[in-house]
Amino acid sequence: MLKVAIVQQIDSLNPFLAVFQSSTEIGRLMYDYLTAYTAADQSVTEGIANRWEPSPDKLTWTFTVPDGKKWSDGQPITAHDVAFTYDLMLTDEVARTANGSFVTNFESVTAPDDRTVVIRTKTPQVTMLALDVPIVPRHVWEKAGSIKDYANDRMPVVGSGPFVLTEHVPGQFIKLKANKNYWRGAPKYDELHFVYFQNSDAAVQALGKGEVDLVNRMAPAQFDSLEGKAGVTRNKAQGRRFTELMINPGAQTRTGVPIGDGAPQLKDVAVRRAIAQAIDLDALVQRVNLGYAVKGAGLVPPVFGKWHWQPGEAERRFDPAAANAALDAAGHPRGADGTRFGLRLIGRAGRAYDEQASEYLKRSMSDIGIALDVRLVSDNQLNEATTAATYDLAFSGWSTNIDPDFVLGLHTCAQRPGADGKGGTTDTYFCDEIYDRLYAQQLSEFDEAKRVEIVKQMQARFYDQVPAVVLAYENALEGYRSDHFARFTTQPAQGGVIMAQNGMWGYYGAEPAERTAQAQGSRWTGLAIGGVLIGGLVLVVVWMARRRGATAGERE
Amino acid sequence: MSVFSRLGERRAGFLAHRAGVAGAVVLAVAALVSLLAPLFVPADALDVTRVTADAWQPPGAGHWLGTDHTGRSVALLMVQGTGTSLFVGLTAAVLSVGIGTLVGVVSGHFGGLLAGALLRVTDFFLVLPALVLAIALSTVLPRGLGTIILAIGLTSWPSTARMVRAQTLTIEARPFVERARALGGGHAHVIGRHVLPSVVPLVLVNATLAVASAIVAESTLAFLGLGDPTRISWGAMLHQAQLHGAVPQRAWWFLLPPGLAIVVVVLAFTLVGRALEAVVTPKR
Amino acid sequence: MRLAGRIGGAALSLLMVAVLGFFLFRVVPGDPVVSMTRGRPTTEALQAELRAQFGLDRPLHEQFWSYFTSLLQGDLGTSFTFRRPVSEVILERLGPTVLLVGTATLIAVLLGLWLGVRAAWRRDSAFDRVTTGVSLTLWAVPTFWLGMLLMMVTGDLFPSRGMRDTDTPPDFLSQALDVGHHLVLPSVTLVAVVCAEYALVMRSSLLEEMHAPYLTTARAKGLRDDLVRRRHAVPNAVLPAITLVFLRFGLVVAGAITTETVFSWPGLGLLFYDALTGPDYFLLQGLLVVTAGAVVVMNLLADVLHGVLDPRVKVV
Repeated sequence: MLKVAIVQQIDSLNPFLAVFQSSTEIGRLMYDYLTAYTAADQSVTEGIANRWEPSPDKLTWTFTVPDGKKWSDGQPITAHDVAFTYDLMLTDEVARTANGSFVTNFESVTAPDDRTVVIRTKTPQVTMLALDVPIVPRHVWEKAGSIKDYANDRMPVVGSGPFVLTEHVPGQFIKLKANKNYWRGAPKYDELHFVYFQNSDAAVQALGKGEVDLVNRMAPAQFDSLEGKAGVTRNKAQGRRFTELMINPGAQTRTGVPIGDGAPQLKDVAVRRAIAQAIDLDALVQRVNLGYAVKGAGLVPPVFGKWHWQPGEAERRFDPAAANAALDAAGHPRGADGTRFGLRLIGRAGRAYDEQASEYLKRSMSDIGIALDVRLVSDNQLNEATTAATYDLAFSGWSTNIDPDFVLGLHTCAQRPGADGKGGTTDTYFCDEIYDRLYAQQLSEFDEAKRVEIVKQMQARFYDQVPAVVLAYENALEGYRSDHFARFTTQPAQGGVIMAQNGMWGYYGAEPAERTAQAQGSRWTGLAIGGVLIGGLVLVVVWMARRRGATAGERE
Repeated sequence: MSVFSRLGERRAGFLAHRAGVAGAVVLAVAALVSLLAPLFVPADALDVTRVTADAWQPPGAGHWLGTDHTGRSVALLMVQGTGTSLFVGLTAAVLSVGIGTLVGVVSGHFGGLLAGALLRVTDFFLVLPALVLAIALSTVLPRGLGTIILAIGLTSWPSTARMVRAQTLTIEARPFVERARALGGGHAHVIGRHVLPSVVPLVLVNATLAVASAIVAESTLAFLGLGDPTRISWGAMLHQAQLHGAVPQRAWWFLLPPGLAIVVVVLAFTLVGRALEAVVTPKR
Repeated sequence: MRLAGRIGGAALSLLMVAVLGFFLFRVVPGDPVVSMTRGRPTTEALQAELRAQFGLDRPLHEQFWSYFTSLLQGDLGTSFTFRRPVSEVILERLGPTVLLVGTATLIAVLLGLWLGVRAAWRRDSAFDRVTTGVSLTLWAVPTFWLGMLLMMVTGDLFPSRGMRDTDTPPDFLSQALDVGHHLVLPSVTLVAVVCAEYALVMRSSLLEEMHAPYLTTARAKGLRDDLVRRRHAVPNAVLPAITLVFLRFGLVVAGAITTETVFSWPGLGLLFYDALTGPDYFLLQGLLVVTAGAVVVMNLLADVLHGVLDPRVKVV
């Protein structure tokens, strides 16, 4: 039995509605996608479909679902299940809640026979093998009724993944059992439990005590606290996340009308570059991430090997003097008090990184004559400020996918809000002709080597124009009970993660160790103390009641 | 028998005062520490960018209360936090007692619809769980010291209002007030000359006790992550301790001092408040 | 007549709670839909859909009307995070809270009353001074800090989180023992804080009672001190104190929020905390209405109980 600590709530078990990372993680265990990514190097591999073929015009994709794959209830998995899932998303807007972006370019999805799925797209789409959409069993879901109200909690929940959901107690735990029908073969252990923790502190403590076997998303200090702990192995992995400092480049709507109240100085790319140059990224990594991060550069973290970009000679080295000179040259002389101008920095209160890094930035900016007014606010207020462009500098961060399309797309002109200031999905309000042209190019470039080249050019352009400074690629810090589990499959094989993969390999490939029956000792002591306490309480109550009874005889 | 009990009572009064005096001494020390904080704490010592010590150092030479997750000295953090905690406690209490006194006097002095409405509102806020409301307020308003003070002040005034109203009613029923009114004393005269003076001692006691609960409330809000993250307070330190894993690290030196400081100062305010109460209400 | 007035007052309070709950979370700047979709692929159309789904695209007065009418039917809206009715989410978290709060209140009341009675009766004895001192100190202790401290001190003796282990055998005894084991630290924390208040209240309540002339009469009748206390003073002081238990229900609610947060106890308090980190406004609004509503009802109960138990009381 593998017990995993999760810190985030489960928002929904319905894969069409679930958006929390914890929920999609469990969704990956319950449902296979059309295709998957290997554990070794994250390349595309067999999922529900084992073969795929685009038409010469790249508008029609034919996927083959092989014979012999079964749902956990024994029914065969067919092309009709796939077509049903995508069709549901195309016809029911609620079903698009979680993964709608994957099908917006779909023209139609059909299943001419049990084995074949044909997807027609409106324009050529390069991400057709990165459709992260759980495929659901038609024979269950066609009876589901309204998707909005379907909780998907009829246990056991029929699925196609390596585990079957059997129990969910909100706020407490989720239990899954091994799927004996899984087409890759059943996992090496029977039960997988996700135990809910309110904070990672408690989770780390529970790992130390052996109450759970696997914990991720540890803070650097927590990770350090497990060093040398008997029975615990730590895994410092390359993360999928990056943290950035957004610099409002003069936000505008799609129609070119300025919105928000970003500082006018930041419209000048020279000023943005100077700010970037004045930030000591190495120091941030050392002091804030305690070394558990890689210095930031492009938009794609190093874990995605070929897509990752390094500035090389174009790197802006930390140089406050040069930054000062650049600001002087840009026409922002220091005032009598040594200040050139003031900027606001918005971050999220309660996020350890923002709380600490803002202190550093305050110092770095004051070194180049910029007075920083730090405001740490709630998530909602942060979102509001970044959406309405009422920020100068702001912390942000993204978890990236294997295909870089999503994270690159965030910075195109079209993502900016409409004339009414609504509907924007832009990250940084970046709008750059060159970047946009490259974005369109890579989207229809089916030669991967060429596409990688374009993607790198885009990152270089982004780095050069600095609508945001990528501060760091944080390590994913995980720990597990090596006295309970001997091995986990990481993704990628080198320096990869166990949890939060683009896949389910970490859980699927876990190998139980020979378990020893110790460590139960302290638990029994605790139980005994609990029992004595409760017993003692009962005794006291009984005693008090009896004393009352005894004296009742002495009535006056 | 009666001699003994009177003796006992006198001793009790004395005890209450002694405890009150002890409380007052503690508060004086705390106030002094917060005022002198700039002298103790070098400008750069709490700047995480300039700290040189290692994180999570247990108490020892150099850092006699150890260091926190960034290597800052816990002792200095404690000193720095004193001011914030006291400031929030005091201002929130003043706000709370101020509102309470205003509402109490107005609803006690002026009868009629206004009093009825005020009483209704008072009862309503008296019933609402203050912490829940304070949490709601601090999620809605922008983060900051002002929000915390507002959230605590706006949710804790009703008990003062009730007490002040009762006192106002009692005073106004006294013959000398009736006389003053009959002699043509206006509202201002009655309130200013008769009601307020008699209410002030009560308000003072209330304010002292309100500071105590405001400090606890501040620490709770800060712990829940609703405090002003740019300021160091004892509550914020505990928030940090929890956020960065003081418990699994067994970093007792980061967990104990802020909590103990809160307990001691809150207790001191309570004791002073009780001693004042004993003086103000002579019957006890 | 008095009762009718009380019920009317409580109803008015409930109404005000409902109105407050709505507007408090509606004046917030910001678009909840943006929070909902933050950090993942989204489109303008999807955002508009979500907005319509939650009725956020309608004018405020329409939103209020629909909120209010559905509130009357027990419908608290839909949670952003859980995509399910708020009432459903709240209901499934009610059990653990009732268990924790119930256990803690029971222990706290018994212990608090007992301590209070003894302290008051032997006023200024060592027992009284220790009890009062400890109570005052505990009253000054932040609940969450006590919880963290207990967790650190007890080390591995008790589980660090939650209400149940997932691998406990399913039979009733094992499950009950497991829950009991998990219950120890949170309930000790909650008891410590609440009990202090009860002890102080009971003490002063009894002290007032002891000056009552009838006690002197009883003593004059030659009754044993012990009996006077048990037969006359305590019952008369206990009743108002018990109604105080209901009156101070808000205190327990506050304690439960922080205690559940520290120990990951899967009840309403933890739900409250979770709703804060979004923030999930509909859920917060629902929780505010429910907890405040519960406190209002508890107060009404206290009033009624007070009137029934203590015939001397004549409240306006």
